[in-house]
Amino acid sequence: MLKKEQNDFLCQTDPGTPMGDMFRCYWMPALLSEELPEPDCPPVRVKLLGERLLAFRDSEGKLGLIDEFCAHRGVSLWFARNEDCGLRCPYHGWKFDVTGQCVDVPSEPKESGYAQKVKLKSYPLIEKGGVLWTYMGPPERQPPEPMFEFCTVPLNQTFSSKRIQECNWLQAMEGGIDSSHVSWLHRGDLANDPLFKGAAGNRYNLGDMSPVFEIVENDGGLLIGARRNAEDDQYYWRITPWVMPCYTGVPPRGDHPIHGHFWVPIDDHSCWAWSYDYHPTRPLTDSEVQAMKDGKGIHVRYVPGTYRPLANKDNDYLMDRAAQKAGRTFSGIEGIGMQDASLQESMGPICDRTKENLVGTDNGIIMARHRLMRAAKALREKGVIPPGVDPAHHQVRQAALLLPRDVHYKEGAKEALVAKKGVRQASV
Amino acid sequence: MQSESARVTTAREAGYRIQYPNSKTRSVKVIALDPASAKLVDEISQEPWNGARFFTALSFSADGEPGATGAGLQAWLQDIAGRTMSLVEEIASSDFVVVVTSAGEDARAVSVIADACALHHKSLVALVAPGEGASDADVSASMAHLRPFARMLVIAHAPDYISAMLTALRA
Ligand code: FES
Ligand SMILES: [Fe+2]
Repeated sequence: MLKKEQNDFLCQTDPGTPMGDMFRCYWMPALLSEELPEPDCPPVRVKLLGERLLAFRDSEGKLGLIDEFCAHRGVSLWFARNEDCGLRCPYHGWKFDVTGQCVDVPSEPKESGYAQKVKLKSYPLIEKGGVLWTYMGPPERQPPEPMFEFCTVPLNQTFSSKRIQECNWLQAMEGGIDSSHVSWLHRGDLANDPLFKGAAGNRYNLGDMSPVFEIVENDGGLLIGARRNAEDDQYYWRITPWVMPCYTGVPPRGDHPIHGHFWVPIDDHSCWAWSYDYHPTRPLTDSEVQAMKDGKGIHVRYVPGTYRPLANKDNDYLMDRAAQKAGRTFSGIEGIGMQDASLQESMGPICDRTKENLVGTDNGIIMARHRLMRAAKALREKGVIPPGVDPAHHQVRQAALLLPRDVHYKEGAKEALVAKKGVRQASV
Repeated sequence: MQSESARVTTAREAGYRIQYPNSKTRSVKVIALDPASAKLVDEISQEPWNGARFFTALSFSADGEPGATGAGLQAWLQDIAGRTMSLVEEIASSDFVVVVTSAGEDARAVSVIADACALHHKSLVALVAPGEGASDADVSASMAHLRPFARMLVIAHAPDYISAMLTALRA
């Protein structure tokens, strides 16, 4: 449980809040590349960390993320014309470039220099791995580009999707490190989902419903190891990395693509659940990509034309009580992504952690909160850059492997836990 | 729409929680396994707790036959006031047990504690507090020692983690 003040501290990410300041130290996924497919395409409204922004790609292909509202009389620039290297407001014709600089105020003589005096807030937007990333902090602290493996492998080896989740980012992210739910909530999917089934390691999962956990810190966050008994005096380990503040990895299965999430706050009551899938050494197959597009694995199907899941709270997530009763799904909800999302949304817009009753096996969650609080305080009080900003911290890999029983996985899996170009993931 | 969830539209409604307590106080027993962690546990015990009790295994001695289990298991703990208590009784009256060790220290007492926990079906959380200057090898050695006995094994570098964890567990 958390005290109310601690819960507020961790959940609030608007400008000026301690966690908001901390989030503004990192590059974060803002949009999919597909949302801005070509020069002069329609602009896209984006809300992140409580700020309403507008993303666009100008005539030369340059990317911009700027204040959504026109500096003249405040209309949304979503209505603007994207033309000749800028967004022109349809109301009175003011025009802004990708840096937010006003470049034309038609009512004023050009020579007056009036336009130069007007500039909208803007943030850098870069394209990497099919994702558009932004950094919303002070320019002097802008870190080097993100180096998560899913965004550095060739594009044909990676696939990302996003879905809107109607709850605070923290309860969503906590789901990503809550290893003990997998044996329950997702048990039906190990055997059936095309992106999970068939891995040799699955039998250890299904054979042992109460794994034992070891939590260790690493430079960028945490490693959460779950072990189960395996033959020949070994343990089957599944190691989940968490990179601060909101990147989580799911340990791999067989030669299936590796997946995981980014949990990015939209505002205090909603977040983007990003889902990535990649393979370090080979292109994704057509059937894998098709399965991802069809909402298999950790991806979801959408309400057409949106990033809102087709199963959502307005239709009770398409609850199927017959499937629940028959054990085809444990919760009655179809698909791993929606199994998680439905329950996390059910916790309320901001989970009231004063009422929870944690147990020893929840230590991963307890420690993640503790590290977040410490880091946000250290940033605020001493200006210490938080863990996870350094791109070296991004190069961690999830792993699933067998180790002798007396070996500490941080050492036994040392190589396996590092992303290395051209080296296959450690997975059984 | 007829479904109840569709009516839960505002954030306020969705966030509603009934205001009654949903659990009772737990009895948590925290046991330091070695002198260095005993100091740590002693400090933590000074904070206000919801009934958590703190012990050291300093005066630990397994009476009777070594390796005795079941009814033959006899061992002693020392509480913070220096009183000697029966390990088995303390564990029998607990809801769960936390053991703390400093990296590289002698943590052998854990095996008897784990036996007592097994006897009374209590879960055991083990924390390694590396302390200053502990090497990776020390940490690994402590982990290897605790691994067979704990449902959850945590390496906690932050000095205030143990009390943060106990607070989170409503200890
Ligand atoms: S059993 Fe964990 S939230 Fe209900
Ligand atoms: Fe899940």
